[in-house]
Amino acid sequence: MATEDTFDQFDEEEQQVESQSFTKAGRKRLFSKELRCMMYGFGDDENPYTESVDILEDLVIEFITEMTHNAMEIGRSGRVQVEDIVFLVRKDAKKYARVKELLMMNEELKKARKAFDEGKFAGNEVPNNSNTSITK
Amino acid sequence: MESSNYKDYSQEDLFLVPEPKRSNDQHNSSDLFGKKKKDKSKKQIEAEEREKMRVLVSNFTEEQLDRYEMFRRSVFPKAAIKRIVQTITGNSVSQNVVIAMSGIAKVFIGEIVEEALDIMEAQEDSGPLHPKHLREAVRRLRKTGAIPSSKGRKLPFYI
Repeated sequence: MATEDTFDQFDEEEQQVESQSFTKAGRKRLFSKELRCMMYGFGDDENPYTESVDILEDLVIEFITEMTHNAMEIGRSGRVQVEDIVFLVRKDAKKYARVKELLMMNEELKKARKAFDEGKFAGNEVPNNSNTSITK
Repeated sequence: MESSNYKDYSQEDLFLVPEPKRSNDQHNSSDLFGKKKKDKSKKQIEAEEREKMRVLVSNFTEEQLDRYEMFRRSVFPKAAIKRIVQTITGNSVSQNVVIAMSGIAKVFIGEIVEEALDIMEAQEDSGPLHPKHLREAVRRLRKTGAIPSSKGRKLPFYI
């Protein structure tokens, strides 16, 4: 049953819980909490309308679905790879810049973590009588 | 008359410094120089931008700080994004794909919310965003191509 506004149905069951509306596909809401924070961050009211949050959730899932389908068609067919995503947003300046930035930061973090891990074993041998030893 | 490499200075101001013949090489060497200069100012620009941000954030009111923190920290859960993408593709995707997808999705939401806020302001409305603002925002953004749609195949010969 496709129901978008299910306040009547769930009135009895979920009096203590906020009534959930289901998407057209019958899926439960995935991003309600995160979307509320995001909307506030981008300028909306502290408490956005639930209908607004629902609309945005549907939009975001549709967006991800579209992107995934398009990515599957280009490059290696049937697979989604980062290069495909970068290619798909090449015309959208904001999204392109953001993807590049995120991937670059991820690489830098990986390098930093690797350097840190190697530094741990490089000069400092962990002594046997330290209280970090588990074998006791 | 054989062609001459020298300009006819009788027509020009004699106090002008004549152009050196090696114009190509000059381009290359100043390119090296120019590029160095550009690199310096690029880093400088980045450093200046960071400093400006620091000053701005330090002057935020508590409400602004709160909102800014939400802006920076709000993310889509990686697990959910991964699940959606993997369900559609049928096979697994790399971590980078999830990172890229969540990042773009956040920008996507931001574009819609900001456009909707502009629309609401133009209608001299206030308070939380209404669905009608969001729908109008989506309509406008579809035209600019910020929202992908497989349904609208533009007919090139449509008059």
